[in-house]
Amino acid sequence: MTQTAANPHTPAGAFTGIPVSAAGLDEAHELYRGMTVVRAVELEIEKMHRLGRMSGSFHSSLGQEAAAVGVCAALRGGDMVTSTHRGHGHALAKGVPMEGVFAELFGRTSGVSGGRGGSMHLHDRRSGFLGENAIVAGGLPWAAGAAWARRRRSGGDDIAVAFIGDGGFAQGVTHETLLLSRFWGSPCLIVCENNGLAHSMPSDRLFGAPGSIARIVEGTGMHARYVDGRDVVAVAETAKEMVARVRAGTPAFLECGVFRVRPHSLSDPDYRYRPKSAGRDWMALNDPIANLRTRLEVHPANWVARIDAEVAAEIEAARDRAEAAERPPTAAAKSFVYTSPELQNHA
Amino acid sequence: MREVKYAEAVRAALEAEMAADESVVVMGEEVAALGGVFTVTQGLADRFGEDRVLDSPIAEAGVVGFAIGAAAEGMRPVVEIMFSDFVLLALDQIINLGAKIRYMSNGQFSVPLTIRMPGGGGTNHGPQHSQSLETLFAHVPGLVVAMPGNVSDAYWMLRHAIRSDDPVIFLESKNLYFRTSGDIDARTGPDGFGARVARAGEDLTVVSAGRMVERCELAAEELAAEGVACEVIDLRYLWPLDTASIEASLRRTGKLAVVSEAVEFCGWGGEVAAWASEHCFESLDGPVVRVGSERVPIPYGHALEDEIVPTTERIAGELRKLAIY
Repeated sequence: MTQTAANPHTPAGAFTGIPVSAAGLDEAHELYRGMTVVRAVELEIEKMHRLGRMSGSFHSSLGQEAAAVGVCAALRGGDMVTSTHRGHGHALAKGVPMEGVFAELFGRTSGVSGGRGGSMHLHDRRSGFLGENAIVAGGLPWAAGAAWARRRRSGGDDIAVAFIGDGGFAQGVTHETLLLSRFWGSPCLIVCENNGLAHSMPSDRLFGAPGSIARIVEGTGMHARYVDGRDVVAVAETAKEMVARVRAGTPAFLECGVFRVRPHSLSDPDYRYRPKSAGRDWMALNDPIANLRTRLEVHPANWVARIDAEVAAEIEAARDRAEAAERPPTAAAKSFVYTSPELQNHA
Repeated sequence: MREVKYAEAVRAALEAEMAADESVVVMGEEVAALGGVFTVTQGLADRFGEDRVLDSPIAEAGVVGFAIGAAAEGMRPVVEIMFSDFVLLALDQIINLGAKIRYMSNGQFSVPLTIRMPGGGGTNHGPQHSQSLETLFAHVPGLVVAMPGNVSDAYWMLRHAIRSDDPVIFLESKNLYFRTSGDIDARTGPDGFGARVARAGEDLTVVSAGRMVERCELAAEELAAEGVACEVIDLRYLWPLDTASIEASLRRTGKLAVVSEAVEFCGWGGEVAAWASEHCFESLDGPVVRVGSERVPIPYGHALEDEIVPTTERIAGELRKLAIY
C-alpha cells in the first residue's frame, strides 16, 4: 500500500520527523553528515558563480538533500546510480569525491569528467556514479540496462538506482523503461524526487498531491512506495526495504516528496510563477537538515557541531585544490569521441 | 560458401557473432517469436534461447536506451529497429547518450552497440516506412554509419559492427533483403572501414552507397556500351568517409558524380561533393554532380517513387551529361 503523508509541497506547520533513538544515533549522524556535505558543496557552488569563478548553469538541490542521501545510504559501492541535471547531491551521496565535483565545475583536468562535462555531466564510474543526464528522464533506461547487464555478466546482487524528477515522470521514456525493466527483469530502483515543480509546472496540477505518482506506478503492477522526503531517516528506512527487494531481482519505484527551494536554475526568474518568499518560507519550517539536527540535539551525546566544522573545513580545502588544478590542454577538446583508435584518429 | 540472400547474410552474421561471444544479445520488436518481420532473426531464439534473443515491447526509445546502458556495462547488444523510420523515436537516446557517453565521461565508458534497421524504398511501404535517414546519423559525432550494398558486405560489415567498441548505425536495405543473392566472400574476419571499387573505370567516378550502388553499376553498364568507362565506388560507410579512395579515383578520372537514396538537399552527397571541390579542385574537369532523392516524402507505388528516388535511367542521364566535360 502507498503511504500517505502531509503534503511537503504545501506544508501546514513545522515538520519534525520521527524521533531518533539512541540506537540509531550513529546512522543518523552519518545521514546528517551526508546532507551537510551536499548542502555545503551546493552553497559553495552558488558562491563561486556569484563571484564569477564558475560559469554556465547550475541546478541546486537545496532542500532536497534527504532524498539523495537517504536513498544512497542504502547502497553499496558496487551499486550504480544515474541522475539528472540536478544531480550534484546524488553524486556526492554516492561517494563521488567533492574535489572531483568542484574541479569539474571549475573546468579542470582533475574534474570527474576531465573538465569537459560541467555541472550537468558528472560521471565517476569508480564511485558507481554512472552519470547525470541533462535530458529529462534520459538516464532512466541507462540505469535499467546497466543493472540488467551487470547481473548477467557478473552475477552478484548489485543494483542500479535511477533518479528522476516529477518532470521526468511525464516523459514517454520513463513509462517505456518502467515496462521494460519489469519485462526483462532489471534490478533497478527508480527514485522519483517529486519537488513540486517541473521548472514552472506544478506537479500537483499534473499528477495530484505527492503520493499520486507512486499510486500511478503501483497501478501498473510494479512495487511502489511514497515517502516524505523531509525526513532523511524515513527515506533511508524505506530505501533499505526497497533496495533489498530490488537486490532479489525485481525493479521497484520510490516517490520522495521534496521541495525545490531554489529557482529551477541560477538564471530562472521563479518569481514569475511563485511567491518570492516561497523557498525561504518553506526552509524556515521544513529544512531536512535543520529538523534532523533538532532531533539529534535532543541527545546530549551528539556530535553535529563537530560534523559541521569538519565539513566546512573539508569543503574549503577541496575547493582550493580543485580551483588550483590545471586546465585541460586544448588537445583534450577532441579526445574520447571514439573508443577505436582508428576511428578516434579519423575524427 | 553457398549463395545466400542479403537477409540470410545478415542472419548468418548475427549467428556467427552470437556463437563467438556470449555478450552479444539481440533485442527488438518481434525478433524472437516471429523471427523478425523480414525474417532476419529467424531461428536465433531457438538456437540461443530467449534470454539472448529478446522480444521487446513497442518502445524504441526505452529499448535503445536500455541497450546503451547494457553496452556501457560490457554487453554487445544488437538492437533491431523494424523500419529505419521508427528509429526517430529513439534519437534522443542515440544522439544525446549513446554517441556521447564516451566523450562526456572523459573516456570512462564505451558503447559497443549495433542498431540495425532496414531503410530506403523499393518495397511499396509508403512515406513512413521508406525513408533514407543516413545523413542524420552521419552528422552526429560518436557514431559509425554503415550501409552495406551487397550480400558479402551485409555479412562482414555486420560482424565488424558487432565487434566494434563504438556505436554503429547499421542501415540495411529492405529492397535488397530477398531480391539479391550472392556469395559471402571467404575471409578470415571483417576488413576495415574502407570503400570498395564496385566497378573499375577511367573516365568518370561515381560514388554511392547502399542499394543505389546496384543502380550505379547498371547505369555504368549502359554508359560502357556508349564508350564511357565509369568507376563505381561503394562507400560502405558514410562515417568514417573513405576520402582516400574517392581522391585516388578522381585523380584518374577528373569527374565525379555522387548518387544517394537520401534526399539530395543537405544530404551526404553534398558533403562528398564539397570535400572533392576543396581537396581535388585541380583534378576536376567538370562540376561535381549530385543525384539524390527529391525533397519529397517517398510515395507509395513504384511509378510515383521513381519520380523521387534516383532511377538507373536518371543516373545514366546525369552521368552522360557529366561525361561531355
